[in-house]
Amino acid sequence: MLIGKNATWAYLVARTKVMKRKLIPKDEYRKLLNMEFNEIVRYLEETEYKKEIDEFGYKYSGPKLMDYALSLNLSRTYQKIIRISFGLAKDLITSYLKKWEIMNLVSIIRGKAANIPPDEIEEAIVPVERDLDYYRALIAKDVDEIVNTYRGTPYFETLSKMGTIPPNQLEDELFKTYYLELTKLKPAELSLKLFVDFVKMEVDLRNLKTILRLKAEGATPDEIISRLIPNGFELTMDECRKLATMSWSELVKALEGYWFWKDIEKVEEELSATEVLFDKAWIEAIAKRATSYPLSILPVMHYMVLKKVEVDNLRILGWGKWYNMSNEEIERQMVIV
Amino acid sequence: MAEVQPTRMELIKLRRRIAMATKGHALLKMKRDGLIMEFRQILEEAKEVIGRMVEKYEKAQQKLALAMAVDGTMAVKSIALACCRIPPEFTIKRKNIMGVPVPVVKKEAIRKKVTDRDYGVLSTSTRIDEAVAAFEELTDAILEVAEIETTLRRLIDEIDRTKRRVNALEFRVIPMMEETARFITFKLEEMDRENIIKLKHLKKKMAKRAEAEAAA
Repeated sequence: MLIGKNATWAYLVARTKVMKRKLIPKDEYRKLLNMEFNEIVRYLEETEYKKEIDEFGYKYSGPKLMDYALSLNLSRTYQKIIRISFGLAKDLITSYLKKWEIMNLVSIIRGKAANIPPDEIEEAIVPVERDLDYYRALIAKDVDEIVNTYRGTPYFETLSKMGTIPPNQLEDELFKTYYLELTKLKPAELSLKLFVDFVKMEVDLRNLKTILRLKAEGATPDEIISRLIPNGFELTMDECRKLATMSWSELVKALEGYWFWKDIEKVEEELSATEVLFDKAWIEAIAKRATSYPLSILPVMHYMVLKKVEVDNLRILGWGKWYNMSNEEIERQMVIV
Repeated sequence: MAEVQPTRMELIKLRRRIAMATKGHALLKMKRDGLIMEFRQILEEAKEVIGRMVEKYEKAQQKLALAMAVDGTMAVKSIALACCRIPPEFTIKRKNIMGVPVPVVKKEAIRKKVTDRDYGVLSTSTRIDEAVAAFEELTDAILEVAEIETTLRRLIDEIDRTKRRVNALEFRVIPMMEETARFITFKLEEMDRENIIKLKHLKKKMAKRAEAEAAA
């Protein structure tokens, strides 16, 4: 019988392991790729997604139905993980899922700024860490009241700059604050350190994508640096600064050797294809670390990432089939690990 | 025709009007031909511009589909909310093509850099950028098509109007005036002939009277 710190993780890891078994296996995607859109929906009706598809059946149809059902299933899965976790695990998972709250907040601010009706703003909301009623109440408020709702949180300072800085900068600042809040946690124990490292790896990936994306767009080094998130895993701010000032060919060469450079021969002209490879490398790295630390937060985080990837893959399949994309193109966009 | 006064003055006036109408007809015909040539040139250009717009539309749809597929409807909807903030700005100026006023759309830079767009970089993906860029290019193309399509419509209207004028002159106004002129000429000749006969009668009478007086 496990007693002490590890017992917390044992329970949670066991629960997520069971949930992980319900994920669609890698080989099934090959089968799904050869199916028509309706066949894919029928297939999903026989899986974990049935409840959500039935729930939205009266409101949406086609790929939209699939999309909303997948998102609802994802948010319910995350809510379940929050529900079954406790103590430090609950705190860490809740803080990590705060990302969804920031995304929803950004959508609300965007909608408010463009005078979009509340119903339409609500359609862009994915309630994960907080319920839909919270966001409905937020949508009903005006922008100043929304800012005041966040008084006392780390996001208030950034939100109070609304109107004085460009909207894109405000959005980026909010996400920077989110990552800074997570990465500044003092890793007093191994679980916390593993969690912080996990977030730092995500920061690395986000910074890498930002650098490549802005470089390809011809942005200046200053513009790139202003968008980067500090406290990366291997990509420290100094490293990022160096990368931002490099030419494209130097940059691509300099990336070799970092943890995310795995099975990547070159950075494709179409960046999205390379981003998929980086995502694969990230998930594989997490999986490896999760295997090394089986009684920690990592297996839970690994499952959460895999669930998100599954939802994304199914969405790509659905929309891809709906728009008659070729199987190769669909597969190229999918992260199959 | 009945109201026309068959006088020489009227005939002279009518002939002047016929000459002017014929000249106007020739000028309008030249204008019509010129407009048709201009129309054909712009039509070729329009075909290219519309073709480019269709291509851009298809590309934008593909990119949107990809963004929807990878990032999801909600993320794309959220970006759409951000992009609604400022609609594309443009001003319309005017230029003349053979006297036809046509619009010239002066647009502000619609294609923006990622860092100038109204959404953050950290919460979005390359697919979203690609879709937004494709739609920015499509907006550009739509404005170009709007300009050229309006030009074509105005030219068609003007060609139509000019054609109607040419036809009216060629088949109605000039023939009617020529008919009237012929009528006046005929009437004047008739009057001349009547006068001659009258004079001949008078001469005959006078000759008879002179003969009678001489016989008496």
